Amino acid sequence: MIQENSLEEEKLILDDIASRLKAFGREREELIPILQMIQERHAYIAEDAIKMAAEYLGIAICEVYGVATFYNQFRFHPPGKNHIKVCLGTACHVRGGDIILENFERKLEIRDGETTPDREFSIERVACVGCCALAPVSVVNETVQGHMAPSKVEGLILGFKIEKEKAEREKKKSEPAQ
Amino acid sequence: MSPLNNETVQKAFGVIRDEAKRRRDAFREEPVPKIQIGMATCGIASGALETKNAFEEVLAERKIKAHIRTVGCIGHCYAEPVVIMDHPESGFPPIFYHNVTPGKAKMLAKSFLEDGDPLFEHVLGAMEENDLVPQVLDFPRFNQEKRVVLEKCGCVDPEDIYEYIADGGYETLAKTLQLAPNEIIEEVQESGLRGRGGAGFPTGRKWDLARNADGQHKTVICNADEGDPGAYMDRTLLESNPHQVLEGMAICAYAVGAQKAIVYVRAEYPLAVKIVTKAIGQARELGLLGEGVLGSSFDLEIDVFQGSGAFVCGEETALIQSIEGNRGMPRHRPPYPVQQGLGGQPTVINNVKTLASIPPIIEHGATWFRAIGTEESPGTAIFSVVGNVVHAGLVEIPMGVTLRTLIFDICGGVPNKKKFKAVQIGGPSGGCLPEEFLDTPIDFDSLIQAGAMMGSGGMVVMDEDTCMVDVSRYFLDFTQKESCGKCTFCRIGTHHLLNTLERITKGEGRDGDLDQLETLSEDIKNGSLCGLGKTAPNPVLTSLRYFRDEYEAHVKERRCPARMCRTLTAFYIDLDKCARGCDACVGSCPVEAIFTTKNRKKGVDQSLCVKCGECMVACPAEYDAVMKVSPPDLAPVVD
Amino acid sequence: MVTLIVNKQELQVDEGKTLLQVCLDNGIYIPNLCHIHGTDNPSASCRLCFVEIEGEDKPIPSCTVKVKDGIIAKTDTPSVRRLQRTAFKLLMSVHRVDCGHCPANKKCELQRIAKFLKVGLKPKYLELRLKETEVDESHPFLDYYPNRCVLCGKCIAVCKDKHGRAFLTFAKRGLDTVVSSYGETDANLPCSKCFACIRICPVGAITSKDSPRQT
Repeated sequence: MIQENSLEEEKLILDDIASRLKAFGREREELIPILQMIQERHAYIAEDAIKMAAEYLGIAICEVYGVATFYNQFRFHPPGKNHIKVCLGTACHVRGGDIILENFERKLEIRDGETTPDREFSIERVACVGCCALAPVSVVNETVQGHMAPSKVEGLILGFKIEKEKAEREKKKSEPAQ
Repeated sequence: MSPLNNETVQKAFGVIRDEAKRRRDAFREEPVPKIQIGMATCGIASGALETKNAFEEVLAERKIKAHIRTVGCIGHCYAEPVVIMDHPESGFPPIFYHNVTPGKAKMLAKSFLEDGDPLFEHVLGAMEENDLVPQVLDFPRFNQEKRVVLEKCGCVDPEDIYEYIADGGYETLAKTLQLAPNEIIEEVQESGLRGRGGAGFPTGRKWDLARNADGQHKTVICNADEGDPGAYMDRTLLESNPHQVLEGMAICAYAVGAQKAIVYVRAEYPLAVKIVTKAIGQARELGLLGEGVLGSSFDLEIDVFQGSGAFVCGEETALIQSIEGNRGMPRHRPPYPVQQGLGGQPTVINNVKTLASIPPIIEHGATWFRAIGTEESPGTAIFSVVGNVVHAGLVEIPMGVTLRTLIFDICGGVPNKKKFKAVQIGGPSGGCLPEEFLDTPIDFDSLIQAGAMMGSGGMVVMDEDTCMVDVSRYFLDFTQKESCGKCTFCRIGTHHLLNTLERITKGEGRDGDLDQLETLSEDIKNGSLCGLGKTAPNPVLTSLRYFRDEYEAHVKERRCPARMCRTLTAFYIDLDKCARGCDACVGSCPVEAIFTTKNRKKGVDQSLCVKCGECMVACPAEYDAVMKVSPPDLAPVVD
Repeated sequence: MVTLIVNKQELQVDEGKTLLQVCLDNGIYIPNLCHIHGTDNPSASCRLCFVEIEGEDKPIPSCTVKVKDGIIAKTDTPSVRRLQRTAFKLLMSVHRVDCGHCPANKKCELQRIAKFLKVGLKPKYLELRLKETEVDESHPFLDYYPNRCVLCGKCIAVCKDKHGRAFLTFAKRGLDTVVSSYGETDANLPCSKCFACIRICPVGAITSKDSPRQT
């Protein structure tokens, strides 16, 4: 099971959304921009966030749900700290993008659309990020990685793991010994 | 527009233009070297940011005086990161460097800027005519292009409106405001410009319909929902020269009588969103947008709307639905958006490239535009030529150039001595054309006749190692996922096409599959509601027409001639070629499928192998011992 | 009044109506699922009501054609039938055929269309593809059967019409599209008495929790 957000986290998120909603008008046209704001701030759209958006715009909850589930952009579960998008555009496909996706899936032991149980990583397949000349391409936390290869997949993941360990060690060091 | 008004516009624009020129001259005349770095998404993905940092570091470290200037994309994606260094004191012309890594950047700064040695081994060419370095404009990748839309891309800083103005930008808008709207529409109609979004509807006619439609609140929408996987010219244009698009939108709005305009950009293009938003702000600040544009009585507000990831929203009526906050499902046309669009009001929806074509057309006139391209398709076409091609990138050519010229002369043909097999044009709505069609001229009608379509201009070159059945499967997988689900044919029909293609690529094809693919494709084409469904079967239909033998090999022999379908291929190590002592393949395998026997023979455990091909890359070229075969039982067993 | 000819029969009808409506009113049956009587904005999504009209090169859905003088239409040409049969088979390839347990049995539009087009309820060449969820019971008063639903959208339209806002919506996309009442869990919903969606459903995709369960 994926760790869900704690109640405290959840409350912070909803408070933040409530305060930001005020910047939007109350017309139906604001729905998608509102959903985008929620996702941008919190990386996913929680059930309560859907309700808040519906209430704010005075439309049915199911309407908001219907719109949100139509678009690829919106997620309904928290993604991992490191979010990996594997491009499967035409150029990437011809140059083996599916092999890159498989390598990520194998290394992280999750499927596309899923998050690792420790919420460190998540994988998403995307249609085209428009960097076709660098195919195959992946986007790791907003950084576009061109000319991907299976060995590069390993390197990237290893890099993140080392960084995390380093950060943990630093943290331990800075904490006074008990 | 009264003459008094004309005077106001001229005066207002004159002030802005003078300021722009003053700034440019000041920059140019400053006696320091200039380093220009391409920083669009492709450039950044190739490491342009690191390159820029490296330049900054080395300049600071060695106290070299030089200006770093960032520009958009010049379209030569294969050469990214690209840097142009202008060091007049050295006696060399401005020089174009390719693939400039941070290390190279530091080297260049030191040797060129300090010692005056331009390091010829890293030079692609010179930007001006001279006696020392060959000029890039003489290279086929440059000299066969005709840049109308992309002219200023990669030359101006997209985040500085004055650079565009100093280069002649917004001059046409100022001119437009002194003409009557119908004069503008006549000029556009006269130019013969056809919509660059794919279908090729005459732009002038669309504008005329919108101008004459009843409605107080008309809207102009720039369609930058570039969803075709394999096309990225709209992104590049918005990232590299947003003002040309905004200027085109303003001219359109003035001509049709709209006071509101929207740039609809995919949310997958964060940099484009950022740059366009900034550009709108700058234009508003200078009075080129907003209330009373350049002191005239014409008002225009432009907003950015981010599409949320639905290919179908490239379709006009679905796009409008999504702006209105609904599910992006197309509706039956007519009524067309020019009659009843956003909020039930007349709405002009034009592609980014169409709108960016407007300023040059109004500036140089319809006759000039008509002289480019062909009779029925005047002007230029922009393609993103990618896939198995040497000089991948964006190319703008006059319509009527043949596919052969584009792929082989301009883009350098297929790399690694592989044979050309097909070119896929028009993305999921287009088709794959084989070698026989290489002499087809590129224009709207010829491509449709051949079974492909201009589409959004994605062009994917495929070599002999690309399986055409798999490519069809790929596109159907895409359209099936992107179908909005509204109409029966598209929602369920594409699923069955995909299902059959999946079976075939796995070697589970059955007799009658090909006929059924064909009939169902025809029905989906004739029965679907919107353009997405109507064109979804095109990849299947064209590949069945031109590559039927490949389909048959899959179905009848369980063989993939291109050795691409993974269930139908196997890797093995040719022991006659293998140097036994080398373990490169073993080390490269991500799943430990390659083993070594007691007498140092190498074998592949087929049950573990995922067919990623890493071993093939890893095996030293002098041995070249890793083999790939189809059907898989051709691989010898090693124990 | 306008005059048009359908299947060689001359009809004199009021202006403003759709060709489909006119045909149905005059006893000429054209298969349809998503058509709502009297609506101005046809959904045109079921793709069954094709007709051939003189001067047009391909069959077009008759719900999208406003009648005008001089239209000559045919409702039973081979190309019309071909599209109708394919559309019907496609619909049936995602449909749980279990009429004996379905409340719509004998009054189901799908049964009527099958009989009219002379095709079986189970498509021969297309593999059956059903959704995982057999029944969605999340609504306090209604149950929804995704594998019966033909996604005509009439329930959503009628709900909006009756209550000014819809308590039902399409959700998800493509082949995964469903009708959903997500989040509508309030016990005060008008659904306990209305049932307009159940009545308008051409199949048996929505049932009332109160009525004896038929599964």
